[in-house]
Amino acid sequence: MTYVRADEELAELQRLSQEYQPDVTGPLVGERQPSTAIASEYALADPVYRAKTAALPQRYSHYRTCRGDGRCGWRAVAFGYFEALVHIGDAAKFLDEETRLRSLNNILNAAGQDPYVYEDFTDETFELMRKISASLQTGNADATLLACFNDPVIEQSVIQHMRMLTAAWMRTHADVYEAFVLPQSVDEFCASSIDPYPAEIEHIGISALTDVLLKPAGISLEISYLDRSIGDEVNVHRIDADAPEGFGSGTIRLLYRPGHYDILYKPEDIQPPMLPPQPAPIPTYFQFAPQPMDHVYDIGASDFITMIPGMSFANTHAGWMSSSPFGSSGFAPTTLPCKPQPPAPAPTPMYAPPPALPPPPPPPAQISHASDFATPSLPPTAMPNHMPHMGNDPFRSSIWELERGFPAATTQCLPFQTSIFRNSHFNTAHFLNPDFQPEEWTPDQDYIVPHNNHRSGRHKSISSGSA
Amino acid sequence: MANKRIMKEYAEVTNNPPAGCKISLENEGDMNLWNVVMDAPSDSIYAGGHFKIVIKLPKEYPFKPPVLNFKTKLYHPNVTNDENGSMCLGMLRPDEWKPPNKIADVLKLVRTVLAAPQPDDAVEQGIADQYKNDRKAFEKTAKDWVSKYAK
Repeated sequence: MTYVRADEELAELQRLSQEYQPDVTGPLVGERQPSTAIASEYALADPVYRAKTAALPQRYSHYRTCRGDGRCGWRAVAFGYFEALVHIGDAAKFLDEETRLRSLNNILNAAGQDPYVYEDFTDETFELMRKISASLQTGNADATLLACFNDPVIEQSVIQHMRMLTAAWMRTHADVYEAFVLPQSVDEFCASSIDPYPAEIEHIGISALTDVLLKPAGISLEISYLDRSIGDEVNVHRIDADAPEGFGSGTIRLLYRPGHYDILYKPEDIQPPMLPPQPAPIPTYFQFAPQPMDHVYDIGASDFITMIPGMSFANTHAGWMSSSPFGSSGFAPTTLPCKPQPPAPAPTPMYAPPPALPPPPPPPAQISHASDFATPSLPPTAMPNHMPHMGNDPFRSSIWELERGFPAATTQCLPFQTSIFRNSHFNTAHFLNPDFQPEEWTPDQDYIVPHNNHRSGRHKSISSGSA
Repeated sequence: MANKRIMKEYAEVTNNPPAGCKISLENEGDMNLWNVVMDAPSDSIYAGGHFKIVIKLPKEYPFKPPVLNFKTKLYHPNVTNDENGSMCLGMLRPDEWKPPNKIADVLKLVRTVLAAPQPDDAVEQGIADQYKNDRKAFEKTAKDWVSKYAK
């Protein structure tokens, strides 16, 4: 009896699960919203989820939902791809990508697809690219993209294009993927897990789609797994593009909850790309080379240099800059710190004590100073401490280093103040100088000049002026 | 877009019809309703029969599979024994449908299934059981139906 009932129950459960339709309401791709919404969604969930979702907004400021109809993974990657192109904000990049994707029709042919079948799908992709690239001019590319991805015809075609690219790429690169799809063959795997219209993307599909679509475009993919594994933050899996960090064309960030993908954003993904003047990379050097920097600059500190605001590889003196902490001999004397003094060194009889040196404003270029390395917590104002440290400093600039106590015969004390010198980085007042010290305006001296025969002080000069 | 695809497919099957199929439009001007007259494969028990099949292409085609209905009565485990005569298996299932599939591929599948019924994937369980356990009786009925309905 019980056996029969269990059987019936199972059949009933089987029927229910077959008839189960996931909640497929909502837009195909939603508006961007603050990621705190995810945390409130999980407010009543178990502690692991609560902790992980609570930590999420610290890393990702915004997110965007994708409709959970079983194709959300494809949709999220496809949308992210277009959004990354929009973020670059360059119509030429769209043209590049259209050209590249058109050339990929060859692998569709090689995989046995019929041009008249796939052209309907690819044409929608290219039309979408042109539409968005045109709307870059009017500044509503984001809105156009969102509207197009909520048009089922466009969205299904683009996803189908991605699907066919992925399957064709895997079939034409079977040797790369065959080990990952065992016991199936690559062909069987594609037929069962990539080709069918409702098939959701899974790990192999994601990595193949990244290989064919994202990596060559310089776009990275980052997936945060929100599951019940131990930990109080989501696990992040990253697939980097063929470009070093910071030089790619952006990153697509996905939030994976078992069976579902949404799109995440860091604050820097949202702000328009041009506003903060970033160190301008020079794309020609590295665009697709696997180890690009090595051929261009052999600088140990290259990463550090790029972090300096206003610095870039365009700077032909980058090599000189990096010499300061790591000991190239040529310019050792200029790396010697000098005691900060007012830039006009004329001895001034002052009755007031010399004004306390105000902490210099954060220099536009925080130079790789030896002391900064030794004691990284020290603010740049710590320059005066520099001299005594010289002997036992862990960073010895050069074997030609001057003796300790050598008079501070430094650049700013030198007499030759030609305009060429003053405007060069050999001048400590130049922000590229390792001993950068901004010129300060010392009111005392300005006021003293006309009156220094009789008076010696600011207050008197003012009073005499007003008298 | 869907329409463009259907036009292209229709042009292809008109110029180069799949083996044993005559294809026309059910109604002039309606590209979404195709009329197929299929000659059963000569090596099948349905040999000699001509079957009228209506193929309905949904509005979402090619993202949704076409719907097949046998208008000619057919004694077959994979075709519903009612006025619809629906056939739904393999690539025609919504969860297995691949948008690159063409109607010509679908018709090839239909002929294969006519020649080799798939009793494990049956919609008519009674016919499937008979096919498995009493092949003689199955073949007799099938042939009777062919001469009765499909000539």
